[in-house]
Amino acid sequence: MSHFTAFLGRRLAGALLTFLTLIAVTFVVYWSIPATPAGFLYPFAAHLTNYQLQHGNHLLGLDRPKLDQYGDYLWHLLHGDFGGSWRGGQIVDNDHLLLAPIGPQLFAATRESLSIILGGALLVLVLALPLGAFAGRRIGSAADRLISTATLVGICTHPMVLGLILATTLGVEQSGVIDNGYCPLRRGPKDTCGGLGPWTSHLILPWITFALLFLALYVRMVRASVADTLHEDYVRTARAKGAGELRVMRHHVLPSAGLRVLTMVGMEVGTALGVCIYIEAAFGFQGLGRLAVTVMGGAADQIDLPFTLAVVTIITVIVLVGNLVVDVLYAVLDPRAARETSRGRDKPLVGGVF
Amino acid sequence: MNWILVWRRLRRDRWTMAAIATLAGVVAVSLVGGAIATRVLGHGGDKPFPYATIGDGPVQKPVGIWSHVPDTAQVRLDEYSQMLPPAKGTKTTLFVLGGDGTLGRDEFIRLLDGGRTSIEVGIGGVLFALLVALPVGAAAGYFGGLLDAAVGRFTDTVMAFPMLLFLVFATAKLSPYLAGVGYSWIVPRGVFSDALLIGVFTCFYPMRLFRAQLMTLRHAEFVEAAQMIGASDWRILRRELASHLVPTMLVWGAIAVATNMLLEVSLSFIGVGVQPSTPTWGSMLAVAWGSIYAPRSANPTIWLTLCPTAALVVTVLALNQLSEGFRRALEPRH
Repeated sequence: MSHFTAFLGRRLAGALLTFLTLIAVTFVVYWSIPATPAGFLYPFAAHLTNYQLQHGNHLLGLDRPKLDQYGDYLWHLLHGDFGGSWRGGQIVDNDHLLLAPIGPQLFAATRESLSIILGGALLVLVLALPLGAFAGRRIGSAADRLISTATLVGICTHPMVLGLILATTLGVEQSGVIDNGYCPLRRGPKDTCGGLGPWTSHLILPWITFALLFLALYVRMVRASVADTLHEDYVRTARAKGAGELRVMRHHVLPSAGLRVLTMVGMEVGTALGVCIYIEAAFGFQGLGRLAVTVMGGAADQIDLPFTLAVVTIITVIVLVGNLVVDVLYAVLDPRAARETSRGRDKPLVGGVF
Repeated sequence: MNWILVWRRLRRDRWTMAAIATLAGVVAVSLVGGAIATRVLGHGGDKPFPYATIGDGPVQKPVGIWSHVPDTAQVRLDEYSQMLPPAKGTKTTLFVLGGDGTLGRDEFIRLLDGGRTSIEVGIGGVLFALLVALPVGAAAGYFGGLLDAAVGRFTDTVMAFPMLLFLVFATAKLSPYLAGVGYSWIVPRGVFSDALLIGVFTCFYPMRLFRAQLMTLRHAEFVEAAQMIGASDWRILRRELASHLVPTMLVWGAIAVATNMLLEVSLSFIGVGVQPSTPTWGSMLAVAWGSIYAPRSANPTIWLTLCPTAALVVTVLALNQLSEGFRRALEPRH
């Protein structure tokens, strides 16, 4: 067990270091881009006076030492405080600021994205395991080719196009059954709908889009793994002992494929978040991907630093937690892994870069 | 590497040969198809035809496939600004795949021209990625040590994060500075910045590949033999090791061109890619559906989605098969 503790400690330390580095990088990138953040506080001024510039920077806390700003941000973050958005900030009594808090908006968006990703990942697993096992048992056959090609078409179509096609043919505009937009699991005071049924019906098309996009990758992986494992000694032993085909597959062949798939799912959380931009846009969600694009990608030269930092923070946390969970699960299921320092990440297929 | 043997193995692979033929066709049609179609049909892909739309006001729709459209850029309006039919005697011109939206440009010619720009972005991205990945990855793999540790750790970390998001961010901030780079119709404006940024943000995976490849070859006997007769590191890298990276480059490159073309669609949908006036398969889809920031102007006809998507799917599938074929022909044991 000491192996395991040391392994966990190493991984945690690495994750923390990555997190601190990314926040620092965000700060450095922000400082190196010329901007007049005081413009957020005087939105109607065509030209800012010297006083306005300095007063604005002072109120936003940008006149402090840079290390101070970094430390201060981390300190607030430690207390769960994401700060306030600079956009729409108002000066009260000329000496303090009224900023809209970022937290609620950020958490609402994260909830929507995670709903898509987790449900979609589950759907991918449910589809990929049987399809991959089926293809892996008859490599080179017509059925194998059909499965490989059909799943590839999903990845060759852009997720936005896929989503838009699904949304316009099956979505509310046509059938009136499946709605656009997100519907939370528990209905809050401001929500128009809620509950498990509506939540699922609103998310089913995004999940299908997500699954179609990632299916090719996972079917291929399961297929290769099954084809490899079928000739292992322990599979032959199981057969010799009289186990049925289904039992051989379920208990002896698929677990090792499942392990590989699991690793990939954890590693690909980042990729999934990127793809979420398009799935959310196609189905009218206000998730993390779209929020990130609006905050970070707008053509405007002004950058809302606290909001950007908040988005970077939450994405980093999701990615690191995903990797960590998989690392730990992997180490528990396959103790040899805990001694290795790093594993290869293989992206052999189109769309792996998304 | 025995290239004659590789070619023989490729020749035996029917699916890969079909993919090569498809790709050759796509490239040929993209290169000259637009120019030929412009000459035959008598209008270019950038010229707007206001009469290539059906209905007016908010329910405007582009004309469907195989429509004859009044060949005029002039709109006749009555006193209430309602569109009148064109003047008598106006000649018509043929829109093979219909119009592209409210502007009424020829979708068919834009599809042909767009293929060229899409492929340019795809190949350009690969070249820029190689430009970064090859020296860094090779140096890390060959010399090892601190540089290797740093590169390995860095690529591992970076690849866990949503590259697409960083790419979007960088393109939004940097493409205004790069957008002016272009060369006549050969490299339309925006293509260079797309290719450069896509290349820079996709260079981590090939960097890993090259590094891993050279790490295994670093202590091979032929490298040690070369070191023993006094060859310099540079000479060993150039004369002994470079050819061993070619298979990796081919297998990865074919996939990367396809991925880059899809990334170009991604950028266009965010509205940070090429100018909407420049046709690419991505910008055509974005014009039809509207980008994330700008809603669409007209309801897309099914052809506006189907044509660029079909072109993309065929090209990407063929590139995927090509990469697969390369892999099988170059490393027959796997």
